[in-house]
Amino acid sequence: MSDAGAPVVLRAEGLQRRFRMGREQVQVLQGADLVLRAGETVAVMGRSGAGKSTLLHLLGLLDRPDEGRLQLDGVATAGLSRGARARLRNRLVGFVFQFYHLLPELNALENVLLPRRIAHGPLRWMSERRAAREQARTLLDELGLADRARHRPSRLSGGERQRVAIARALVSRPRLLLCDEPTGNLDERTSEVIADQLFDLSARHGTTLVLVTHDRDFAARAGRLLWLHDGRLQPLDPGPRPPETTGKTGVPRALQSPP
Amino acid sequence: MYRPFLATRYLVARPVSYLAIVAIMLGVGALIVVVSVMNGFLRETRSIVRGTTADVVVIPLQSAGGDFIANRADFERVVGSHPGVAAACSRLVRPAVAKVHGQANLSLNDSLASSLNHLLVLGIDPSAETRVSDLPRYLQQVEVPELRVADVADPFRLDRKRIRDRKLANADLPHVLVGELRMLQQRLLPGDALELVTLPDDADLTGGTLASRTETCVIAGAFRTGKYDYDVGTIFLDQQDFRAWSGTRQELSEMAVTARDPAALPALRDGLLAALDAARLPARVQTWEDRNSMYLGAVENERNILAFVLGLFVLLTCTITFSMLTMMVQEKVRDIGILSAMGASAVGVGGLFATCGLFVAGLGGLSGWLAGEAVARHVDGVKTWIEETFEIEIFNKEVYAFTTLPSEVNTRLDLAIVAATLVFSVIICLVPAWRAARMDPVEALRHE
Repeated sequence: MSDAGAPVVLRAEGLQRRFRMGREQVQVLQGADLVLRAGETVAVMGRSGAGKSTLLHLLGLLDRPDEGRLQLDGVATAGLSRGARARLRNRLVGFVFQFYHLLPELNALENVLLPRRIAHGPLRWMSERRAAREQARTLLDELGLADRARHRPSRLSGGERQRVAIARALVSRPRLLLCDEPTGNLDERTSEVIADQLFDLSARHGTTLVLVTHDRDFAARAGRLLWLHDGRLQPLDPGPRPPETTGKTGVPRALQSPP
Repeated sequence: MYRPFLATRYLVARPVSYLAIVAIMLGVGALIVVVSVMNGFLRETRSIVRGTTADVVVIPLQSAGGDFIANRADFERVVGSHPGVAAACSRLVRPAVAKVHGQANLSLNDSLASSLNHLLVLGIDPSAETRVSDLPRYLQQVEVPELRVADVADPFRLDRKRIRDRKLANADLPHVLVGELRMLQQRLLPGDALELVTLPDDADLTGGTLASRTETCVIAGAFRTGKYDYDVGTIFLDQQDFRAWSGTRQELSEMAVTARDPAALPALRDGLLAALDAARLPARVQTWEDRNSMYLGAVENERNILAFVLGLFVLLTCTITFSMLTMMVQEKVRDIGILSAMGASAVGVGGLFATCGLFVAGLGGLSGWLAGEAVARHVDGVKTWIEETFEIEIFNKEVYAFTTLPSEVNTRLDLAIVAATLVFSVIICLVPAWRAARMDPVEALRHE
């Protein structure tokens, strides 16, 4: 559970994002507000197509909002160039995707080291390499992949691949870890292990964790639960049991009759 | 630091990148070999042409009707006293037809023998000639020993015992030098007779009966310059014998001049022209390059055309890199999204693919340079190997003077070829690299 007095890592106000689908304009986000503090864990739930991935892309500076303001680590990102956003993303944000997105040409260790390579020029990398490698190995070790470091993704199981992806997301010690359905492609037991490790590691590294998931048990472990509906984020009290959705609308009961 | 690292991994994992490297290597290598061989050809050809032509040739303008006969003494005085002239000698020149073994009349109708029918007879003074041309060397480099002259210092001398026709043995006949190739083709030996037929100065070419002038000559020996048409189409005759045979009143047809400074021939040409003009001696003056400009120009032209065609081939191989990169960018859309998510900038992503193109072009160009220069330096060995292995003839020694395939490696030129390949590759690789850089990372991540 996060400390209300902890420093703000991310502040988003009135985020709007529209997409053009053929001739139609689809308003995916219609003014989403969010404040994330250091070390906080937040789960975002919502129906398919509600704009959860879009929200993550905006928070991670991969995409720009049409309206609204976004501050990351105290930096207003609106006027930043593409290059400056890329540097900020490299330094402050880690991504974990549903389909792992490892580079098939690289082995596990090289995949984990990639954000560090991207961060440094050749000279800096020469001096940083040893330390970075050490850190990556430690991370892989913590995730139980010490003996898989030299394996290519094609020789790893789904769970192992996702753990490599988590190590890759954490190797730069980001302030913010954005996970887009990290267990969506895994079986139940593996999902549990991954979830444990994700919460454990982000707690230990003091990383703010944002989870987009359909898995209620997984979401319920987060400190805060948000429901993305009609393009806005609404708080959701996890209560004693995970929220149930009505079959038709997909809106949880807790929201239909607000407390 | 990820660009060279990832570019290497991307290339190693794709067979098509090896193909692109090999294609560029072949293109660059072939261009280097061809340019080297053609430059070698040009060098050899120039040295051969150089040998058969004096530095500068002075040709008095004289009318065929005999209204003006160039005064040999005047010309020799003006040309000989020019400060840029090291040596000069006068020559007489006349076209002729040769009758060999008494049967040349038949060969006049033979198109295959046409090159043998046209002759240019040079009336020379052997001692003066050696000062301006390589005559002694031509006499020495005859390949068949039986055909060589008895004495290089006095080339027209012939032992009477070698005259095989008894009827001619006691006659005082003029002696000639014949090109080795003609002697081999017509099966002639020193001591054999040759009839030279020409027309007198005042020959009536308006339809009346032509009275030809014929002289039976004895071959003293052969010469070999290495220039095919010269070795087949030229006969040397002593100037005294030349006058008796042709009955000409003209005293000189041309003057061959050796320059003091072989590097300043155009200046010497202009200086001689001015001096002759001042002495009211009408003449044309040509350097050896002027004289053979068509011939040298043809070889140069051939080199340039081959270089142009192979240059296009190199450009073509660069486009293989282009298609390889275009395919790679299409294949790697998801990677572009992932790299962006990890903080790679647009410039960085574009640079990654440009680096791939640079690596392919660099490796291809470098290996092409090494392979091309290696082959160019040992091109004769390669030629011999191919000829022996496949039993084919690539290079006809009969046509060219040189027995080995010449080659002149110019490393600076070769490196310029490699550099041009690199520059062109990088320029066309910027197109797919630009596409990769402009890709929207979110779209790229969603790409299936």
